[in-house]
Formats: sequence, C-alpha cells, structure tokens
Amino acid sequence: MTDPLNDLFTLLPELILTATALVVMTVDLFLPRRAKWILTPLAIFGMALTGIGCVLVWGVNDTVFAGFYVVDDLSVFLKGATLVIGILAALFAPSYLVSRRLPLGEFNTILMFSLIGMFVLASSSDLITMFLGLELMVMPAYLLTGYHKTDRFSNEGGLKYFLLGSFASAILLFGISWTYGLTGTTRVAEIGAGLAGGPAGLVAIAMLTVGATFKVAAVPFHYWTPDAYQGAPTPLTGFLSVGPKLGAFALLVRLFVEGLGGDVRADWLAVMAVLAVLTMTGGNIVALAQVNVKRMLAYSSIAHTGYILAALAAYAAAPSPAVQQRSVEAVLFYLLGYGVMNIAAFAVVGMLQRDPRRYGGLASFAGLAGRAPWLAAAMAVLLLSLTGIPPTVGFFAKLYVLLATVDAGLAWLAVVVALNAALAAFYYLRVIVYMYMRDAEDEPAPIDRHPFATTALAISVAGVLALGIFVEPVLDFLQASAGSLF
Amino acid sequence: MSVSDLPILSLIVFTPLVGVLVMLFVPGTAHRAIRWVALVASLATLALSLVLLGYDPAGAEFQFREDLEWIPAFGMGYRLGVDGLSVVLVLLTTVLSVVAILYSWHPIQARVKEYYATMLLLMVGMLGVFVSLDLFLFYVFWEISLIPMYLVIGIWGGPRRIYATVKFVIYTLVGSLLMLVAILAVAIAHGNDTGTFTFAYEALRGHPFADGLQALAFVAFFLAFAIKVPMWPLHTWLPDAHVEAPTAGSIILAGVLLKLGGYGFLRFSLPLLPDAAVEFAPIVIALSIVAIIYGALVSMVQPDLKKLIAYSSVSHMGFVMLGAFVFNEQGLQGSVFQMVSHGITTGALFLLVGVIYERTHDRMIAHMGGLNARLPRYAGIFGLFTFASIGLPGLSGFVGEFLVVLGAFRYNGWVAAAAMVVVILSAVYMLWMFQRVFFTVPSDWMRRWWPSLTDMSRLEWISLAPLIFLTVALGVYPAPVLELIAEPVQRIIEGVTDSTGLASLGLPW
Repeated sequence: MTDPLNDLFTLLPELILTATALVVMTVDLFLPRRAKWILTPLAIFGMALTGIGCVLVWGVNDTVFAGFYVVDDLSVFLKGATLVIGILAALFAPSYLVSRRLPLGEFNTILMFSLIGMFVLASSSDLITMFLGLELMVMPAYLLTGYHKTDRFSNEGGLKYFLLGSFASAILLFGISWTYGLTGTTRVAEIGAGLAGGPAGLVAIAMLTVGATFKVAAVPFHYWTPDAYQGAPTPLTGFLSVGPKLGAFALLVRLFVEGLGGDVRADWLAVMAVLAVLTMTGGNIVALAQVNVKRMLAYSSIAHTGYILAALAAYAAAPSPAVQQRSVEAVLFYLLGYGVMNIAAFAVVGMLQRDPRRYGGLASFAGLAGRAPWLAAAMAVLLLSLTGIPPTVGFFAKLYVLLATVDAGLAWLAVVVALNAALAAFYYLRVIVYMYMRDAEDEPAPIDRHPFATTALAISVAGVLALGIFVEPVLDFLQASAGSLF
Repeated sequence: MSVSDLPILSLIVFTPLVGVLVMLFVPGTAHRAIRWVALVASLATLALSLVLLGYDPAGAEFQFREDLEWIPAFGMGYRLGVDGLSVVLVLLTTVLSVVAILYSWHPIQARVKEYYATMLLLMVGMLGVFVSLDLFLFYVFWEISLIPMYLVIGIWGGPRRIYATVKFVIYTLVGSLLMLVAILAVAIAHGNDTGTFTFAYEALRGHPFADGLQALAFVAFFLAFAIKVPMWPLHTWLPDAHVEAPTAGSIILAGVLLKLGGYGFLRFSLPLLPDAAVEFAPIVIALSIVAIIYGALVSMVQPDLKKLIAYSSVSHMGFVMLGAFVFNEQGLQGSVFQMVSHGITTGALFLLVGVIYERTHDRMIAHMGGLNARLPRYAGIFGLFTFASIGLPGLSGFVGEFLVVLGAFRYNGWVAAAAMVVVILSAVYMLWMFQRVFFTVPSDWMRRWWPSLTDMSRLEWISLAPLIFLTVALGVYPAPVLELIAEPVQRIIEGVTDSTGLASLGLPW
C-alpha cells in the first residue's frame, strides 16, 4: 500500500491527461494559425491514451497516497464517463470557437484541466482531496463560461458563476471544517460515525449538503445556472451542463454514500427527497416558459439533476444493500446517458449559431427537417431521449431511477418523476414541432457542418440509440463500479 | 428449416421496419417508388400475419412463441407470443394499415417519404404491443407507437394540428409514464415475494399481489389505458386529434390505437390485478355508461362529420369497456368483437369522410346535402357503414353490441337498459347525419362543387373493399372471431373469479 511506484501507477490516467494538457499548451505556442486545428486531434489522442490508462487501472481497487486517494472501480467508471464527455466537448467546440475568433489551444488545455479536477473528485477519499478536486474542476469551468470575452453575456455568466460558485465552495469548506472539528478526521469513510446524532452533526451535514447541491445546481441553489449556461459559448455550455455536474455528483456519491451512508442516512433522506422534488419540478416549470432553446436546455438540465437526486434519495431509503447498490447504479447510468445526450443537444444548438447574431431561439429550428433532414433527425432522437422515450438511453436512465425509487419504497417519488417526465415532454417536443411542423423562416439560420462536430454528433446519436437497446454490456461495468462501494 | 421454425412474430413486427430501411435508399422525389415500397412492406406484413390464422385454439395458450434474453439483470426478455385475442387484433392492424397506406396514395403529396416511413414505424409499435409477452417490452412498443402518430397529426394534419397533436401526446404520456411506475412496482413486488425479478407476463399473472398495491397499480394502468380508449372524462384529446389528423391517420387512430387501450385492460389490468379489477368494476361500469350516453348525445349536435364520428367512437368504446368489466363470457366476447367491428366500421367511415373532403375540402354537415343524386355509389357505401355503426343485424356492429348488452344484462338489468338506450340514440345521430348529407336539397355551397364532384375512384374502392367484405362477413358469420377469442376470454373470467372466489359478480338487486 505504501509502495510509491504502485501509487504512481494507479495515477496513470491523471498523469497522462496532465501531460497531454501541458503538451497541447506548449505545441499551441509554435503552431501557425492555420494549423491550430491539429490541437483538437492531439487532445483527443491524449484523452484516448488516458482511456487506455483507465482500462489498466480497472479492477485495482486500492487506496493510495496514505488514504488520500482511492482508485476503485467507481472512480474508474466516473473517469471513463468524464473522458467520453471530454472527447465530445473537444470535438463539438472548434468550429464554433474558430468562427468567433476564440483561441483553440487555451480551450483544449482548460478543458483538460477541468477533466483532471473531475478525476481527482472521482477518486477522493479525503475531504481535503475532495475540495482540491472540486476547485480544480470549477476554476477552469468559470474560465470556459467567460471564454467569449468580447461578449457581455459570456462575461456576465462567467462572473456570476464565479461569485456564486465561490460562495458555495466557502459553505462546503465551512461544512468540512465543522466536520473535522466534530470528528477529528477528514477521511470520508470515517466521518459518518462521528456525525451521527446531535444537532452539531446536523449542522455539518446541512453545510455539506448545501455546498454540494449548489454545485449540482439543485433548486433552490440553482440561480447561477441559466445565466452561466446561456452566456457561455454554446458547445462549452454543453460541456458545463454535464461535466462539472458529473464531477459534483461524484462528490455527492463519495460524500453521502461513502461518508454519510451508515446510520446517518436517515438524517438526509428527507432533505434529499425534497430537494429532488423541488429541483425537477422547478426546473421543468421554468423550462416550460422558455422560448430560447439554449436557455430551455439550461433549465431542463436542472430538472435532470432532480431525477438524479431522486436516485440518491432512493439510496438513502433503500432497505437492503442490493437496492442501495442499484440506486447508485442509477445515479451513475443517468450521469453517463445524460452527459452524452445533453452535450450533443447543446452542440446542435451551437451548429445553428453559425451566424453569431443568433442566440439559439426556437425560430432557428423552424423547418429544419426540410433543410437538413439528418441534423433534424439527430436532434429529434436527442430530444426524445431527453424526454425519456424508448428506445433511447434517456429512457433507460429514467427507468433505472424509477426502478431504484420504487424498489426503495419511494413510490410517491417515482410518481413525481413520471409526472415530471411528462411535463418535460411538452417543451422538448416543442422543438420537434418547430423542426418538423413549421415552415422555415425567410432567412433560415445557416448551419455549421464542420466535420469534427458532425462526427461527434453521429457518434452521440448512435450511442444514445445503442445504449437504449443493448444496454447489457454497460450494466456489468455499472454493477462492478457501484459494487466497489459496498 | 420449416415454416414453423421461422420467428414469425418478429417477422410480422419488423417487416415494416425493413420497408423503412429500404425507403432510406430511395430518393425523396421518387414518390411513386416510395408509395410502392410502403405498400409492398405493408402487404408483406399482412401476408405474414395471415400465418397466424393457423393458431390452434385447442393448443397451448400462447403460440408462435419467441423467447430471447434481452437484459437478464433486470429480468427483461424479448418474449413474444399470441393467443386468440392478439391474433384478432394483429390482423385488424395489418388490414387497416394496408387500407391506410393505400388510401394515402393521392391525398398525401407533401413530404411523402417521411409520411410513409412514419406510417410503417407506427405499424411496428402497434404490432409489437399486441404480441409482447413481457411487460417491459410491451411498454417499449407502447411508447414507440406514440411518436409516429404525433408526427402524422402534427405534420400532415389540419390547421390546428399542432395544438391537437401536443394535446394527444401529453395526455398519452402522462398515462403511460404512470403505467411504467406501476409495471415496475408490480415486477418488484413479484421479485420480492418470489426471489426472481422478471417482467415476464406469464410469471406475473396469477401472482397474488397485495390489495394496496393492486389498487394503486390498477389506478395507474387504468389511467394509461382509459386515456387511450378513451374513456369519459379522459376523452377530450380524441375529437381534436381526429379532426386535425389526415384521413389515414384517423383510420389508424380510431381503428387500432384506441384498441391498444382496450387490449391493455383485457391483457394486463384484469389478469394481473383481478382483485382490484373487481373492486373498481362498478366505477368503471358507471364511467362506461356515461361514456356511451355522453358520446351519443354529443354526437347528435356535431356540425363536423369527423367530429361526429369521433364522438361516436367514445360511445362505441364505452361498450368495449362495459363488456370487459361485467366479467362474463358474453360481455367479454362482445367487448373484443366490438373492438374489431369498431375498427372496421369507424375506419371505413373516416375513409369515407376523407373521400368527400378530398373533393370539397369541407366536412361540415350543413354544407352538404343531396349528395345521393350526384354520388349514388358513394351514398350506398356510406349507408352500409352507417348501418354497421348503428348495429344493424347482419353487419358486424350488431354482434358486438348485442353480446355486450347480453353480458350487461347478466350483470345488472338497469345497466343493460341504460346501454340499450344508446342503440336508439346512435340510430338517431347516424341516420340524421346520413339524411342531412345525402338527402334533402343540396346547399348552395355544395352546388358550387357540383360539376367537379366525381363518384368513388378505383383506388378508393380498392381501399374500402376489405372493410366492406369484413363488415358483412363478420356480421353474417362472426364465428371465426368468436372461436378465436373464446379461450382467452374464458381464461380472463377464470382468473378473476378464481382470485376473488366469486361465482357470479352480479349486483344484489
């Protein structure tokens, strides 16, 4: 356990990714402007190598660096999902950025640093590591939000995200220090026992909950999301809506399942269930009123957070370890499926923003099926998946959550999830209405058909459909990953 | 490999999908080729479905079975099989699909490729529902059938199509998502009781679920199916959807999609949750009676032909529900027969409304009049289906309604009496409509079209021919259908009475 070489080996994915980020940053300096596009394949190559690194550490299940870092199957699964999102983000972004004269090299580097933060979060077994990972993840996210520095919405979003994010971090940090004061330890696995019972423990749990749910944008801590998401360059919004969310849920799983999973569960079950209901309902109701697709997707991402929180509540209510494990699986599967479909949906909005005066309004989608049948069909599949219609990954993700909640005896919560999914259908299908049932505008929005983005879109849609029909192979991974917690 | 080894049900369900794939390689401007691909695909499906007539009523309950693992971790399987009930409805679906695709030949001129692809996908969903023996698979097909109809109404529909189609989808989705929760709850309860977590229909059927769970699950299933049927007061999406849908969409909607609801009750609600079904039966019967009378009364005052037929569907489907919940042989047989007959006659009536709409772009009864003089053949055929819809003996509508009323009488005389009143009411609204459209003096409005009015075209005759044949044949000789459904109906009744220990379910007075 203290063999330093072994410890380093388990860090292989992190090391490769860091090296890639540095290489990209350096190469960027020496490339002429017209050759900058090479940075994207380079970054993707690095991320693919990182993926191989992940495969190598699969099944290691070891706690390293004196207990600060854990490389179990759960963390590897989360890292794999992170990489999928990272690769898609790297593919979707370039043409949007280039057409607005935004630099590509910095983007790729910042993106990968954020991914490293997510890696650290996924592997953190200590509150200190956890906080470091969180900050490493969100700092680049603030930068990406404000990446379009000549656009005032981007600036506004970046600043809001930064201020409120720092605020949340402070609360989380306060919770961590309170926890340390009560338990005398920062080891995640050990804090549960120390916090059980007593009002002081409740305060600590409350602080941790508020800080962490701030990061996943749960209602009522979601106010930063719409502006940050709408301000950021659209493909980056796609990344921001899934990447940091995945990281923040990794934190939630580590903190609540691993740390506060024992007898303390009863203390936060009700809170989590209420947050889930508020989040999905609130997100959906506000999304209903949006006429801008980008903003609609931003609010709907809040609703999806609610569904994932419902799975977490199911964990807290679960009567047996098998049901607990299924709930964690539901969280993980939803994160992966949601990640792929949401980032791709944002990318399609971005592809319709070739004309920079367009901000992703519904009108841009009018008559799209006639002008670009394949693009419209791809978007339709993504929207149906977000709605949760079979045979798509979105359906399976919802099914998993429903299964977990019903299994845990929270049938009422399952009913709320189901009703919310029907509510969400209303605004998702509205985009399909515009694409298929309305005539195009006089001057239809020009479409960006960059090969990178098109490839990534095709891959995402294929993945959304494939995971909706042949879900079996992923389930094995999921079970192993979630199983490493129990 | 002999014929019996072929996965015939998979072939039936997925042949339309093959048609869609072929269509992808046909250029969008080659309308003729696309129509032929769709027609051939639907005819091939029909031909394959005829193999199901080889179903042996004396043999195993479910035949032509296919059993494959799909997601074993969740107990979900690709389980297909048919009993007599499914056979009848599969055949109804394949026949009406061919009719709808044939009829669309001329009326549909916009986005032809998308239209036929959508229609074929719709077939996949509907056929899948009728042959699934796995609750999860059933749900997947159920949802798959939703989206194509949404597109058919929304893209090729009338002026208020978007309002109508969104209403249709949201209504249906609310019901079906609650049903999904109920399916999961039932499967999990079964898993907890027996240790095997599965969605297999036959495993879940007959499992004694707790009363509380049965009641809640029944309500959830009820919402999903009752919205689809549609039962009063959940029917308000139907008139809108029908009025805006293109003719072929209405044929499929009335002919098959509504039957998904009725089928759901017979296949799932009654056998899976017998105690709750008995518990709730009085309420369902009361709602059915309201639907029967309300639908008929509202039909009387409709100015629009399509809306009139849509509301008459509410009334007719009320008979289906009434028959299903009196839990005796006549009632249930009548219920199934009424579904088939309603599919045929209402499908034909919508087609006939489409015929006049194609020529005049109007459906208002007040604008018609005297058409008998100008279009005698059209009037004759319209008359035939009018009588079939009223339930004239010798035509298919009679058999179903008669059996249902008979079953209702065994349950309770007053209920039967209430249902009987409607047989009179339906004669009133249908005959009055017929009179205003075909007799009397032509309106000034209609006179403008007079020179351009042509009688039924050959294509229209061809599309109607199977329906004419079926409505007469089943009216005169209903035995083939009744034989097919006797066994399944008997099973449903046994399931209900065994579980509740009641020999007779009639009310005490």
